[in-house]
Amino acid sequence: MSKVATVIRAGLRSNFGLATLKHRLFKEKKDRWLVPLVGLAAVGVLPTLYGIVLLIENAYLLLKPMGQERALLTLGLLAGQLLILLFGIYYIISAFYFSRDLEMLIPLPLRPSEVMISKFAVILINEYLTVAAIVLPVVITFGVMAKGGVGYWVNTALVYAALPIIPLAIVSVLVVAMMRFINVSRKKDILILVGSIVLITASLFLQVGLGRSRGPQANPEAIAAFFTSPDSLLNQVGSKFPPSVWATKAVAGGFSGEGLANLALFLGVSLAFFAGIVVISEKLFYRGLVGLGETTGKKRRLTRDEMSRRVSSGRRAGAAIFSREWKIMNRTPIFLLNGVLVVVIVPVIAVLMGTMGSSRGGGGGGSDLTAILKTLSSSNQLYAILGAALFMIICGSLNGTSSSTFSREGAQFWLSRVIPVAPREQAAAKFLHSYMIATLGVITASAVAAFVLHLKAVHLAAAAGLALIVGVLLTAVGMIIDLARPLLDWTNPQKAIKQNLNVLLAMLADIGIITALFFGVRALIRAKLAANAVLVVLFLALAVLAALSYHILLRFADKRYPQIET
Amino acid sequence: MIELTNVSKSYNRGKVKAVDGLTLSVKPGEIFGFLGPNGAGKTTTIKMLVGLLRPDAGRLMVEGFDVAKDPLKAKQVTTYVPDYPAVYERLTGLEYLNFIGDVYGVPRAERLDRIGKWLEIFELAPVVTNPIQSYSHGMKQKIVLTAALLPAPRVMVLDEPLVGLDPRAAHQLKEMFREHCDQGKTLFFSTHIMEVAEKLCDRIGIIHKGRLVACGTMEELRALDQTEQSLEGIFLELTDK
Repeated sequence: MSKVATVIRAGLRSNFGLATLKHRLFKEKKDRWLVPLVGLAAVGVLPTLYGIVLLIENAYLLLKPMGQERALLTLGLLAGQLLILLFGIYYIISAFYFSRDLEMLIPLPLRPSEVMISKFAVILINEYLTVAAIVLPVVITFGVMAKGGVGYWVNTALVYAALPIIPLAIVSVLVVAMMRFINVSRKKDILILVGSIVLITASLFLQVGLGRSRGPQANPEAIAAFFTSPDSLLNQVGSKFPPSVWATKAVAGGFSGEGLANLALFLGVSLAFFAGIVVISEKLFYRGLVGLGETTGKKRRLTRDEMSRRVSSGRRAGAAIFSREWKIMNRTPIFLLNGVLVVVIVPVIAVLMGTMGSSRGGGGGGSDLTAILKTLSSSNQLYAILGAALFMIICGSLNGTSSSTFSREGAQFWLSRVIPVAPREQAAAKFLHSYMIATLGVITASAVAAFVLHLKAVHLAAAAGLALIVGVLLTAVGMIIDLARPLLDWTNPQKAIKQNLNVLLAMLADIGIITALFFGVRALIRAKLAANAVLVVLFLALAVLAALSYHILLRFADKRYPQIET
Repeated sequence: MIELTNVSKSYNRGKVKAVDGLTLSVKPGEIFGFLGPNGAGKTTTIKMLVGLLRPDAGRLMVEGFDVAKDPLKAKQVTTYVPDYPAVYERLTGLEYLNFIGDVYGVPRAERLDRIGKWLEIFELAPVVTNPIQSYSHGMKQKIVLTAALLPAPRVMVLDEPLVGLDPRAAHQLKEMFREHCDQGKTLFFSTHIMEVAEKLCDRIGIIHKGRLVACGTMEELRALDQTEQSLEGIFLELTDK
């Protein structure tokens, strides 16, 4: 086996934990319960998938008579590539520069480009999985509807295989050049934070940009001309990123001249981009790496008074654990982004999306959405409260804070096991931390709801109250899931929160709970209960569930902590 | 005071026996050295002793507290230094020490006194406000040792504590071992450095393939072996099976 293939194989095995998974499933015979659970989760996703397929089918039938149906493919492929472009920044920075196996790889007799290619391969596989949910439903539904032949499916497979290369290559060049020429290596935390904020800003601008390019000029002649010219929509959508147009034509054209020419163009350009990064990485990759693993601090001896001030006078153990959680979360960029920043940013993005439309002269749906929401909220106050509560719950609780709370401790979990603090007390401190972040999300979402929907204060308070009680339930459920199977053997913090199956399982559980609540409320409304009575019943039921879940969490902590062997 | 009675632990559902019917006791005021080849069961024993692993059978007692039945009381009198210093890298050294002081309930005056003393001895005072991630391996080892000394525990359990320490710090740590046990406290540590074990330990236990193959003072071990060999010679002979 060539050296590159060996390094790629080792990278894939260690990154996707295949060896560990095999060992756990077949040797230690642990985690076997996960297999049916993952199967069940997959079945649970089927109705949503079916809905998406129906939507695509309808869009196809609508666009087909106008000769615009191929725009659907472009939209799917473009969305996939944009997603890769945006999330690629995270993956590339993290894999190229901050993964700990680099310390082991660099001393090996490998060329910089070989190390880089192995890292690139891991990201490529990650991206295939990431974009599958977006791209596959579109290309498969389209293929079935258009009765695509062998050419369609072969080209689809080839295009899908090459899809992440161009966007990843663009990001790689930017990142490698940045690390080489800007001396940011010693401030890697700031780099990740700034990079991520740039990413979020860029995604907002893209949102606006695509919104603007969505339609023709708003006069009847232009609209008529636009829709009578075949593929005008395809070209319009793809104008910001031509490779998505080539990919569309390659897939839709199959083995026709147009299909093969576009396939050659798409694959050729992808290959050229890939070759480009191999050349660039050979020259620049290692130079940006030197000294990256080192962090320095100024040496300064504290005076007696300073030391006396800074040595704690003795907090309760629970307060010490809360403070530890808070500091570690806020000082680890990946944790901070996925915890505190998510609960602040999601509502802000929502408000931007809700209000931006109005400045675009009807180009996007933002203003319409706000108008619909306002109408809804003024017509039925119960729905307004429930809708706002749902928004607050999503903003506050659907993040990875609670469902990674034990996993985030990683190799340091031994400390939690040896300190003389009862597991329930530790779990309570961790709960408080996760719940405070959820509360921050509820507060931000309340501000947004007040700003966009102009809800009355009393309705806002009721919605926030509901969201806070549900927050207790969802936080406890997330923590229970993470405590059941904490992921402690990570070397890259990204694995503890972004690639942690517990976060996904908790989100599925949260969606299940919210769905159950939806049916419960529907039953109450159908039973002709007054709005206030519905709210009272809901409050009481949720309060009982919240108290119960918290109680179960503490009991489970006492039982589970001694079982976790580190 | 440490007492292990018939302690066993296996991995892979009983296929690999790491510790097999281990019985030993360490008296107050004793430095006990725990030796054995790689994979002999030293770390497994130590982890069971501090509650990180659960034994399949047997009983572990620390200062009269059953580690399995009364874990909090056992933990309150024990501190542990692992073989690899995995600590909260995002905290500063002082924040970490404050955390340990808080969870063990160390009074402020004693905390100030001990932190000051050990930071000076281990030469960590100038970097104590820096994040632990900026420390070298040896400095991380020293901050873990400082944290383990902070509560002045009745029992200290250390897994390869001398690895990564510079000669000065290693010397001072050995002095501390003696000082600790002269106060009637107990110290249990594993090591591969025969010379240290021979000179420092009051008693030595040698574990091989999960079983205790020898235990006693240096004189008792020599008598057992019926030779005038060094500890290294005795060790090689006992573990060469």
